[in-house]
Amino acid sequence: MAKESKSGRYDLHSRRRRVLGLDKGQALKGLFGGNALVSVIVLALITFFLFKEGAGFFGQYRHDIELYRKSGLEYVEIMKKETDSFSELNRYLNSIRGEHASVLKERGLSFAEAKAELSSYEDFIYNFEDLGYPLREYVLEMNEVAIGARNMFVEASNYREHRENLLALGRDEEAAEVEVLDVDLSVFVEMIKEGEPDFLALNDKVAVGIIRLTDDLPTIGIEKLDDKMQRFKELALMFVSEMDGYETRLAEWDPQEPVGMGSAFASFVFGKDWVTNSSIQDWYGILPLFTGSLLVASIAMVIAIPLGVGAAIYINQVATPAEQNFIKPYIEFISAIPSVVIGFFGIAVFGEFVRQASGWAIFSGLDAFPISERLTAFTAGCLLALMAIPTIFTLAEDAINNVPKSFKEASLAMGATRLQTTMRIIVPTSLSGIISAILLGFGRVIGETMVVLLCAGNRIEIPDFTDGLATFFEPVHTMTGIIAQELGEVVNGSIHYRALFMVGMVLFLLSLLINYLAQKIVLKYQVSRG
Amino acid sequence: MPATASIRKERPTEGLGFHKKPSKAKSTEKAFFWLFRLGTYFILLCSSVIFLTIFYKGSQTVFQTEFPFVNVEFLTEAPQTLHVFEYEGEQYELSDNNFRAFEEERGVEIDTTTYAYSGGGIWPCIVGTVLLVVGAMTIALTLGVLSAIFLSEYSKPGKILNAIRLSILNLAGVPSVVFGIFGLGFFVLAGPIFSFSPFEGYDFQFWPLPIYFGFAGWNVSLIAGCFTLAFMVLPIVISASEESLRAIPQGLREASLALGASKWTAIRTNVLPYAMPGILTSSIIGVARVAGETAPIMFTAAYAMRDQLPWEGLEKWTDFFFQGVMALPYHIYVVSAKIPQNEYTERMQYGTAFVFLFIVAGIALASILLRIRMRKKYRW
Repeated sequence: MAKESKSGRYDLHSRRRRVLGLDKGQALKGLFGGNALVSVIVLALITFFLFKEGAGFFGQYRHDIELYRKSGLEYVEIMKKETDSFSELNRYLNSIRGEHASVLKERGLSFAEAKAELSSYEDFIYNFEDLGYPLREYVLEMNEVAIGARNMFVEASNYREHRENLLALGRDEEAAEVEVLDVDLSVFVEMIKEGEPDFLALNDKVAVGIIRLTDDLPTIGIEKLDDKMQRFKELALMFVSEMDGYETRLAEWDPQEPVGMGSAFASFVFGKDWVTNSSIQDWYGILPLFTGSLLVASIAMVIAIPLGVGAAIYINQVATPAEQNFIKPYIEFISAIPSVVIGFFGIAVFGEFVRQASGWAIFSGLDAFPISERLTAFTAGCLLALMAIPTIFTLAEDAINNVPKSFKEASLAMGATRLQTTMRIIVPTSLSGIISAILLGFGRVIGETMVVLLCAGNRIEIPDFTDGLATFFEPVHTMTGIIAQELGEVVNGSIHYRALFMVGMVLFLLSLLINYLAQKIVLKYQVSRG
Repeated sequence: MPATASIRKERPTEGLGFHKKPSKAKSTEKAFFWLFRLGTYFILLCSSVIFLTIFYKGSQTVFQTEFPFVNVEFLTEAPQTLHVFEYEGEQYELSDNNFRAFEEERGVEIDTTTYAYSGGGIWPCIVGTVLLVVGAMTIALTLGVLSAIFLSEYSKPGKILNAIRLSILNLAGVPSVVFGIFGLGFFVLAGPIFSFSPFEGYDFQFWPLPIYFGFAGWNVSLIAGCFTLAFMVLPIVISASEESLRAIPQGLREASLALGASKWTAIRTNVLPYAMPGILTSSIIGVARVAGETAPIMFTAAYAMRDQLPWEGLEKWTDFFFQGVMALPYHIYVVSAKIPQNEYTERMQYGTAFVFLFIVAGIALASILLRIRMRKKYRW
């Protein structure tokens, strides 16, 4: 090269070397462009792939629900709900007795004395329990029939598929050997339906029994417990009046009613159960997971927003340079703690700490305390707050820093104090930046996996929001947690696998929405620097 | 500055005996600022508690009081079962290998209480994490930096470019577990495989060449984990690199072009050297993120337990990439959530967490310090 340039020093039209018709500049551009293309394609592929895997879910789910209806399982489920609420009543009754026993124990009665005391209304409890037996037996029997029918049908369709596969491969002889039963589900449904008068008769018997028993309510002699007994009576009568509802639902039930895509979709989006590997019927309702995620994230945000934004204001407006130089890198450094380490800290130290702290005397006035669970939504929320703080802090601090200096100077010159300047000028001006910082912090929290997997307790249930404070101290499960927990064990392509992809898709869309909103807010409400 | 100082000197506000009564606005200001201050220090306190707990308990595992002061077994051995037993009046805690040697040496058989995962060390996990990080960052940096150069230097501004930029920015916020399921569905179950011999599930042959191709999947393997992690940080690397490229004043490029340099020469000599520090910092952040994530490798690369180190027992060189590895974050998850807890597992947990935090925090600290230095050095 050196030689060439020497000889052609004044040759402005020196020929460029070309390889495959490209000179060096074009080749480089091609290289960069090619890489950019690969990146864009891959990132697009991720989106496409999630949608592709998720899209198959609804079809499969619809098919599942249809089978659930056609095999009569849905019908049995209605009856089962009724017996379940009867068992609920029983449990309530037993809890009264349990409470009574502990009251007696506190009074210092010996075991025999307490037993004698309790036995006064023992008959009542047993009689009440006995009322439910025939009902439960009947439902169990019907359940067996329906499950048997469903399983036979599934097996038959598996065999049919196997035979068709063999035929497609041209192995006719083997295909002929595969026996396929024709399972007509309607026969079984008829069988179940035929029993309806029996069930109604049983129902009537139970209703009469409950009314007869509750007329003669035993009294315990302790005001609190007697109140509960009265409440039990109300509940029992309510159950009796609800029985009609179950009966009409049974009468209206139609096995041939078509299951649309809409109901599969609704069952996913609004479904209250996430039940997998069940012998009866799997349900994939995202609601418990979604509310769990939301609950944990809200707890985290309630803690993180004041702390994160407050720290940002403090560092930018109040702190001395020495403090700034130390605290800013420190908080940025927190964001580098791996989430699994924080989760481990929660499981090893913090969870136990929260439980012990809830027993402290200052909290004794609160109903919810002391709590019994170590790993709850609150535990996870606190730890997630620590993860959200660096995000919120860094971005909010940037936003505050971007407020033109003249704003501050003008305000101070008008005689406002520093606090007034901060609260009325600086924060409102940078509010769009702060809000987008909060949104991005929220996005980080809702997408966090390891902390919630380790510390949220993993109970799939919609938190009971009527409990007041105790709601926050219940174990929950989250969308990210369920993916991490169950994805390792599912069969490729099964409905469960696709359901998890759907959950991933919901997360994906949610995070896109949050990011989009954050960007929009920043752009829309940016201060003009005139 | 000296002027203000002299004014202050003339009017001392303290020590004269008549303090102004603080106005209401001043006291609320003070109260609020103290509130903010307390909040800020509360954050520092909480994180310090985490650091110190793990540092204190973890250092008991990793360090020791006798020579060589570092627990060599913990750093160089694989996780093993711990045997706790009493022999001739003395209490022993030995990991599996040592226990067998002990038995053989004395020619006895001893009844012991065993604790899974509590003995030995975490060497394979460290190796696995390093391999994953190196692999993922190689892929992410090559793709990311080159794409960023194209996007900022070569591409024409327009709607398409903005859309690409926006979607890359948005993808940077997608939860890591979503990349995890993508990695499982795409690389683990349907990764493309080329082979010189037909394999089960191949789709077609590049006839007449003896090359077979099919979407047979890479299984749980190092390479699947590397790609998953790489695509997870790719948006971050691209957007951060592009930002530092665009921060270079246009004048530098124009001056270079005006002197007759080709486009590439201008970029090579007048853009890249100044953008390099920024790219480097962003890539170190990427390393910290890749090393710290658990969710994406849970189903793509990590094994809970593997006896052999990655370079042991390979039949052919490609096997190196198609094997699962142990990794520090996954190991922490396994020992803290998947096995029964007792005092012996606790040592393992804190030791692993300590080493892991040490590595990740070290990388992150380096990037923060580097950034602070760079900010001071380059100001346009």
